[in-house]
Amino acid sequence: MGIYPPSLENLIVQFSKLPGIGQKSATRVALHVLRSNRDLAEGLAQSLIDVKEKIRFCSICFNLTDDDPCSICRDDNRANGSVCVVEGPGDQLAIEEAGIFKGRYHVLHGVLSPLDGIGPEHLKIGKLLTRLEGERIEEVILATNPTTAGEATASFLSRLLSEKDPSIKITRIALGIPMGGDLKYMDRMTLEHALKSRLPVTR
Amino acid sequence: MTTHISNAIIMRTWEFGETDLLVSFFTSDKGRLKGVAKGGRKSRKRFANCLDLLSLVKLEYELKRGRELYFLHSGKLVHAFPGIRSDFSSLSLASYMIELTETLFPLSVTDKEMFALLKNAFLALNEGKRNGVLRILFEAKAMALGGYRINLDKCCGCGRPYAGEGRAAFKQSKGSLACLKCEQESKLSPGLSPDSVKVLRVIQSTPWDKAQTLDLNNEMIREIKPVLKLHIEYRTGQRLKTAQYLE
Ligand SMILES: [Zn+2]
Ligand SMILES: [Zn+2]
Repeated sequence: MGIYPPSLENLIVQFSKLPGIGQKSATRVALHVLRSNRDLAEGLAQSLIDVKEKIRFCSICFNLTDDDPCSICRDDNRANGSVCVVEGPGDQLAIEEAGIFKGRYHVLHGVLSPLDGIGPEHLKIGKLLTRLEGERIEEVILATNPTTAGEATASFLSRLLSEKDPSIKITRIALGIPMGGDLKYMDRMTLEHALKSRLPVTR
Repeated sequence: MTTHISNAIIMRTWEFGETDLLVSFFTSDKGRLKGVAKGGRKSRKRFANCLDLLSLVKLEYELKRGRELYFLHSGKLVHAFPGIRSDFSSLSLASYMIELTETLFPLSVTDKEMFALLKNAFLALNEGKRNGVLRILFEAKAMALGGYRINLDKCCGCGRPYAGEGRAAFKQSKGSLACLKCEQESKLSPGLSPDSVKVLRVIQSTPWDKAQTLDLNNEMIREIKPVLKLHIEYRTGQRLKTAQYLE
């Protein structure tokens, strides 16, 4: 503690608690706030409080939302039959921004990771199973990331879902060479997946 | 600074800054190390899918001056063990093996045999070998490598050599067998049949390839399991976090 007045020092301490922000960046940001006009500080303070007070989980899909159910779950124009299961709100957002998927989502809020003490009971899995009963779901798309934990989560879910309802269609997003990728830099697992899931060329 | 190249198993990763990855890995020749992969979350050229948990990779790295932290240059995937990823109970057991290794081996303690044990255990898990048997093989061998081999040769009470005549009990505080005159069988001193003792002795002392072919019946598994559980808890002073996910 030291060279700055206590109130400025305090702001620096608060900023440096944020991920990826060290002492230096925190000081820079705090000094910027100090130099800027009052509107910036008030806007910042208000949005910080808003985000804590207003944002919650959708009670159906566990997406982040201001209103419950969220706008996607309320939207009658979206296809009810398919649910895309993702790890976190960021993944849901990425798919939604691409504008290609017109079904519903389910956000797990994590992946199975025994080393971090995260088991099935820590994810929003129970609610996904109850959705199978309530909504007429024909297809569940498993869109967890192709990492060790994401793959294990996908196969855990596929087993669980097919036990619950053997008639349900379960699909996994394709794995392989990314667009703009270069075969020379691909690892053998990726190449193996890409060859296994090759598609006939449409003529 | 010299650059090293080692085969290594990725034990844990943490996101670090915007694009970097902090990686804990067990090498074949330098033990367990920690390092930073600059751009590890983005660079497909230098780290093509090779910094994923539990993968066997060939890593190129060097020591940062005056630090315990290594700098990872590049890596190449050797084996991703897809069979472990596709089954939660296998993932749980592999995670447990990682945690036990971390507990037994501090950073930078070289142990070629421990690396081989991890790798062989992952290969066997990947092939779908029985998890219950693999757990016992790994626990007994890892504890022996970590310096906590169970004494199966003589009673820790009276010192009489154990020659396979009748049952014996395991005494946790001594990490040893005891004859039934010195120690009664109980939940805290679980008993072992002569066959179980023999099998455990073979597991502790023979290489993986041979130990792997042992025919453990359900009775042996049922007897040996609690012995190893008590032994590990006593010697490491804790119940491993990942143990809760094992059947
Ligand atoms: Zn919703
Ligand atoms: Zn005795």
